[in-house]
Amino acid sequence: MSEYLHIGKAVPRPDGPDKAAGKAHYIHDLQRPGMLHGKIKFSDFPHARIKHIDTSKAERLPGVKVVVTAKNSPEIRLGFLRDNMALKKDKVRQYRDEVAAVAAIDPDIAAEAIDLIRVEYEPLPGVFSPLEAMKEGAPLVHETDPRGRTRSHNLLPLKYHHESGDLEEGKQAAYHVAEGEFSTPLVQQCCMGTAGCIAEFDMNNNLTLWAKTQIPFLAQRDFNRALSDMGLKGKNTRIIVPALGGGFGTGLDTHTYEYIAILLAYQTGHPVKIVYNRREEFDNLSPRQSSQTHIVQGCDRDGKLTFRQVDVLQDNGAYASWGATYPSVMMMPATSLYRVPNIFFDAKLVYTNNTYCQAMRGYGNPELTWALESNMDELAELAGIDPFEFRMLNRNEPGDTTPMGLKISTCGLKDCLETVAQKLDWNNGTKKGKNRGIGMASLIHVGGGGRIYRSDASGMILKLDDFGNVNVFYGGVEMGQGLHAVLIQVVAEALGVRPDKVFINPTDTGTCPWDVGTHASRGAFMAGNAAILAAEKLRKKIFQLAEELFPAEVEKNLEKHLEKNPGYRPPDFDIAKASKRDRFDLHEGYIFIKDAPMESWLRMDLGKLLRSAHFRPQGQMLIAEAFYDPPNEFPDFEKGMGNISSTYAFGTQGAEVEVDTETGEIMIIRMVAAHDVGRVLNPPGLKGQIYGALAQGVGYALYEELKSEEGKIQNPDFRDYKIPRTHEMDFPIDLVFIETNDNFGPFGAKGVAEPGLVPTAPAIANAIYNAVGVRIRDLPITPEKVLDALKNNKKLKTP
Amino acid sequence: MSFYDYYQPESLVEAFRLKKDNPESLYISGGTDLMVRIKKKELHPPALISLRSIPGLSGIENGNFIRIGAITSIGELKKNPLLHEKYPVLIQAAQELGSVQIRNMATIGGNLCNGSPAADMAPPLLVLGAKIRLQNDKKSRDLPLENFFLGQGEIDLFPDEILTEILLEPPEQNAKSIFLKKGRTRMDLAVASVAALVCSEGNRCIKARIAAGSVAPTPLRLVGVESLLEGAMLSQKLLAKAQLLATKSVSPITDVRSTAGYRRHLVGVLVKRALERLMDKELGESGDKEFGKKC
Amino acid sequence: MKKQLSFTLNGSPIQVAADSHQTLLELLRESLHMTGTKEGCGEGECGACTVLVDGLAINACLYPAFEAADKNITTIEGLVEMKNKLSIIQQAFVDSGAIQCGFCTPGMILSAKALLDTQPDPSEEDIREALSGNLCRCTGYVQIIEAVKKAAVHMRDKS
Repeated sequence: MSEYLHIGKAVPRPDGPDKAAGKAHYIHDLQRPGMLHGKIKFSDFPHARIKHIDTSKAERLPGVKVVVTAKNSPEIRLGFLRDNMALKKDKVRQYRDEVAAVAAIDPDIAAEAIDLIRVEYEPLPGVFSPLEAMKEGAPLVHETDPRGRTRSHNLLPLKYHHESGDLEEGKQAAYHVAEGEFSTPLVQQCCMGTAGCIAEFDMNNNLTLWAKTQIPFLAQRDFNRALSDMGLKGKNTRIIVPALGGGFGTGLDTHTYEYIAILLAYQTGHPVKIVYNRREEFDNLSPRQSSQTHIVQGCDRDGKLTFRQVDVLQDNGAYASWGATYPSVMMMPATSLYRVPNIFFDAKLVYTNNTYCQAMRGYGNPELTWALESNMDELAELAGIDPFEFRMLNRNEPGDTTPMGLKISTCGLKDCLETVAQKLDWNNGTKKGKNRGIGMASLIHVGGGGRIYRSDASGMILKLDDFGNVNVFYGGVEMGQGLHAVLIQVVAEALGVRPDKVFINPTDTGTCPWDVGTHASRGAFMAGNAAILAAEKLRKKIFQLAEELFPAEVEKNLEKHLEKNPGYRPPDFDIAKASKRDRFDLHEGYIFIKDAPMESWLRMDLGKLLRSAHFRPQGQMLIAEAFYDPPNEFPDFEKGMGNISSTYAFGTQGAEVEVDTETGEIMIIRMVAAHDVGRVLNPPGLKGQIYGALAQGVGYALYEELKSEEGKIQNPDFRDYKIPRTHEMDFPIDLVFIETNDNFGPFGAKGVAEPGLVPTAPAIANAIYNAVGVRIRDLPITPEKVLDALKNNKKLKTP
Repeated sequence: MSFYDYYQPESLVEAFRLKKDNPESLYISGGTDLMVRIKKKELHPPALISLRSIPGLSGIENGNFIRIGAITSIGELKKNPLLHEKYPVLIQAAQELGSVQIRNMATIGGNLCNGSPAADMAPPLLVLGAKIRLQNDKKSRDLPLENFFLGQGEIDLFPDEILTEILLEPPEQNAKSIFLKKGRTRMDLAVASVAALVCSEGNRCIKARIAAGSVAPTPLRLVGVESLLEGAMLSQKLLAKAQLLATKSVSPITDVRSTAGYRRHLVGVLVKRALERLMDKELGESGDKEFGKKC
Repeated sequence: MKKQLSFTLNGSPIQVAADSHQTLLELLRESLHMTGTKEGCGEGECGACTVLVDGLAINACLYPAFEAADKNITTIEGLVEMKNKLSIIQQAFVDSGAIQCGFCTPGMILSAKALLDTQPDPSEEDIREALSGNLCRCTGYVQIIEAVKKAAVHMRDKS
C-alpha cells in the first residue's frame, strides 16, 4: 500500500499528552517575574474627536504603575497602509479604538483604573455601511492619508482588478444568464484561547514578546519598526510562540494590544501581560470581513460557461488590515474555479466607522465561493442542466493555466465531483423526498503556499545531537492544526530516523530560521519541503562521515557478534571498499550499505556515528539548513495576473438537508467532503482539519453573524454569537481524500488547512433550494429568512 | 471586576438577618444568571447571601402538595423519580435548560427569580398551576405562579423575600403534557417555548392549560387558547384555530436573537405541534424523542 | 472578605485562603497556580473551565470559591496518574486525534469523565448531550466523540 514508513501513518502529535494533561502553556498561563497586567480603554463612540483625556484618578489608584495615552507616548503607526496608530490621538474612528492603557499589579486593579479614566469626546456623524460611506458629502473616516495629504472620499486606495478575454463577446455568446447579489456577514474566528501577549524588555532594551501570532518573523519586523518609532532604533525583538489556543487567521496581524503592551513594558521596566477576555475579544479583535458580491455568469446552449462578471464591495471598517486584501484571494476562485473565458473581476473597499477586519480561514475564498457556487446552480437550472453535470462540463483539469495565470499541476476536481455525486445518490435526482434535497459546491484554493509577500519561503534547521536525536528548528507555527506531527513524520521519513527521535523546538525568532508565516494553508507544504531539502543535506554529511567511521565500527560489531556466536561465518563482502557515501542509506536510525548483506552487525547506530565524530581531535557536530522558496509568483493584483501558488487544492462538498417548512429550520441529514489533498500525510490530523473546517463552514452557513449596529457589536458573547456545538454537528460526515500526488508537494501533499470550509455554505444553500425551492443569498441562512422566502414563494405561486 | 462579600447562612433566619444588615446585598442560589450579570457589570451588589447551605430549601417531597425546594438544582430535578412519574413536563423543560454544567448549578427558584420571559421552568409550572411560597422574616405568603411575573424583568418579590418552595397539586389522572422549545441552536435561550397540558375524555378536551415563553414581557398563560380548547372536540381544524389564536395572544419583541414576526409565527406552530403530540400518544417521561432534535 | 477554605482537591485535602469575590476558577488558576482549567468565556457558555464538584460537572467561572468548602473537587491535573501516566480518557483523546489546539481539551475530558463515571455505556446521543456545554472551534467534535466512545470501552474492559 504505502511505500513509506511514516508518511500516511497516524503518527501521534507530540503535544497531545501535555494538552490532555492540562500541561500545555498558553499565553494565559504564562507568568514572568515582576509581571504587570495591562488593560485598554476603548472608545465610547464610533466616530468622535478626542477633546480631553483625564487619567489623574487612574494614576493615583494604588497598584497602578503607569497610564499611557497618545499624549505621553511615542506615536506608533501600524497596518500596511500605515493608517492606524497604537493609541489614538485626535479622534476615534470605531468603538474599539484604543484611547488609553494601564499597567497595574493585578488585572482587577487595571480594570478599575480603566473605569477611572475620563475621556471627553465630541461625537461626529458616522458612516456604517459602504453605501453610506460612498455617498456624496459623507463624513470622512480619514480626513488625511498617512502622509498628511487631504482625502476627499472613503474609498481605499487599493485596486483589485482582472479582465481577460472579451466580456461583451462572452455575454453575446451566452444563451442563458444568471445574475445575483450575495452577501456574507461579519464572522468571528472564536479561538477558544483568546488574544494576548507578554512584552518584556531586557536591560539592553531588546524586546521579547510572547505572542499569539502566526507570523513571528513579520511580527519581529513590525515590532522592530515600532521600537524605532519609540526611539530604540537598532534594538531587536524576539518573538516566542507558546501554545496558541487556536489561530484561524487571528495571528496574521500585529495588533494594537501588542504595541500597547510594548509601550507599557518600556515605560514601567516590567514585563506586561495583556489578555482579552471573551467579551473584549468579541468587541475588539478584528473579525472576518463582510462582503457584497454581484455576480453574473452565462453559458451557451450546451452548458459551457461563456463569461463571468464579479463585482465585490466590502466594508473595510476604520483601518486597513488584512481584510483589505481579501479581494487578492477572491480573485482566485473568481478567475479560476471552473474553466471560464471572458472574465471581469473588480473589488472595492470602503472605510466606515465599523470594526476593521483581519484574516480568517479562507480569507475571501468562502465569501466569493458562496456567490459563485450558488450562482452556478442558478445558471444550471436556467440552462436545464443538472448541477453536477454542469460542473463536470466546466471543470478544471490537470495542466490548465487559468485566466489569472494559475498553473494547475495536479487537479482532482473530477474525482471530487464524482465522489460527492455518487455518495449522495445524485443520479436519482436532487430532491430526496418531501422538503429534502441534496446540493453540492466545489472549491479551488492555494495548496502550495501563496506568495502575497516578497518572500514565500520557509527555513529549516536540523541539528543532530550525540544521541541520534534530530532537533528541528522551524519558524512556522503549531496552532493546533497538527503541523508538528507532520513535521516529525517528514523529517523521520526524509532523513531515515524514528519519529520518536525527532524533537520540534518552540517557535522562536531567536533560534529558528525565517518563515513568512503559517497562513494560506502553507504550513505542512513548506515545512515538509524545507525538511526534505535539509534532510538531504544532512544525509550527505552523515554519509560523508560514515565513509570514515563505518568500517571501524562495523568491525568492532563483528568482533562482538563472533564472541557471542563462535560458529558464525561472516559473508564475503568487502566492507571497506563498499563504504562510499553514495552507497549508504539511513533507515530508522541505522546506517547501512544499501547492497550489503542484511546482517545485524553490518550497520551503525546514528548516535554512535555522531559521538565518534564529536569526541575525537578536531571533532565535529552535524547540522544542516535549508531555505525553501516555492516556485510561485507575486501576482499583480491590479492586473489580476500571477501564479500565486505552486499548486492548487480542489474539493467538492455535498449536503443533504431537510427543511422544516413550518419553522424554516434547516436540518443537515448528512454531508460528504471530497478533497484533493495530494497525499495524506497524517490521517487523523487531516481528518481533524477537514472536520473542524467543515464545522466552521456549517456555522458560516447557518448560525454565525456578528451583528453590528451603528458600529457597536450587539452580540459580543457566546450566548448570542452561536458557533456549532456537538448537537449542531450530529450528522454523518463522509470524508474522502483524493490523492493526486502533486510534484511540488512534500511526498506529493498539498496544503489543506482552509479548503474544508470554502464550499460548505453554498453546498447547503444549493441543497435547500433543491429541497424546497428557496434561494437564500445572504448568510447566515436563518429560519427567519427561510420562512420569509417560503412565504414569498407561496405568494408568487398562488394567483 | 466586582468585589463583594459572600455569606453562607445556615438558616432562613440567619439569611433574613444578613439581608437586613446588608440591604443592598442580593440572595444567590445557583448563580448561573446572577454571576453573569455581575460580571457584565449590570449589578453591583456589595455582598451576596448564598442560600445553598440552608437545609430544607432543596429537595422534593411528596404529600398533599408536591413540594419542590427552590434551591433544588435543575440536574437534581431531572433525576427525580417522583417528577418523572407525575410531572414529566417538568423533566422535559429541565432537559432543555442550558448544558449539563449549567443544570448542575442552576436552581428552579433561581430560574423563576431571574424574571426572564425566557425562563424554561416557567411555562411547565404555569400549566401545572404551580404555587410559590415567598418568605421574609415577618411572614410567609403563597402566590399562584402566574401572579408572580409582573413585567419584563419584574417579579412580585420584595427585596427581603426569598422564594423558598414551589407547590404542585397532585396531577390529574388523565392529564397529558408536553414542553417544546426552539432556539437558534440546540443549546440556547428560547426563541419561543410552549408548555401544554390537556385532559381529555375521548376526543373532547376537558381541561387545557397552555403557557408560552419568550413571546411576551413575561412567561404567559394563553388563556384565550385554553378557552377555545376546553369543551371542544379536538381536531386538526381546532388545532389550526388554536395556532392562529396563539399568534394573536402574544406580544413578542425583535431583539438580537429573533424578530417579533418570527416569534409570533413560531409560538403558533409550537402550540399546534404540542397539541398534535398530545393527541397522538400517551407521553412518557422523556416526552417525544423527536423534539430533542429539531421538533 | 477572606476565608480559609478546606476541601478535597484531586483526592487530597487542601487548605487555601480565598477571597469572597473569587470564583473557583480564579482560586484554581491564581491562588493555586493550577492552570490546567481554562477560562474561555467567563460566563458559563464555553465549558473550558469545567471541573467536577462531588462528581458533577460545573462551570468553575460561575462557581463561587467559598462554595468549594468541604467539597470534592476534581480538575484535569487530578486525572494524571502516578509516574506521568495519562488516565484512560486522556489517552483516548490522544489516540483518537481529538486534540488540536488543546484549549477546550481539559474541560471536554472532565465532562466526559462526569458522563462515564455515571453512565459506563453511553449512547452517541448521551455523549453529545454530555459534551454540549463544551465548545470546540478546532475539531468539529467528530474525533472527540470517537475518543469518548473509545474511553468507554476501555473503562468497561478495565472494570
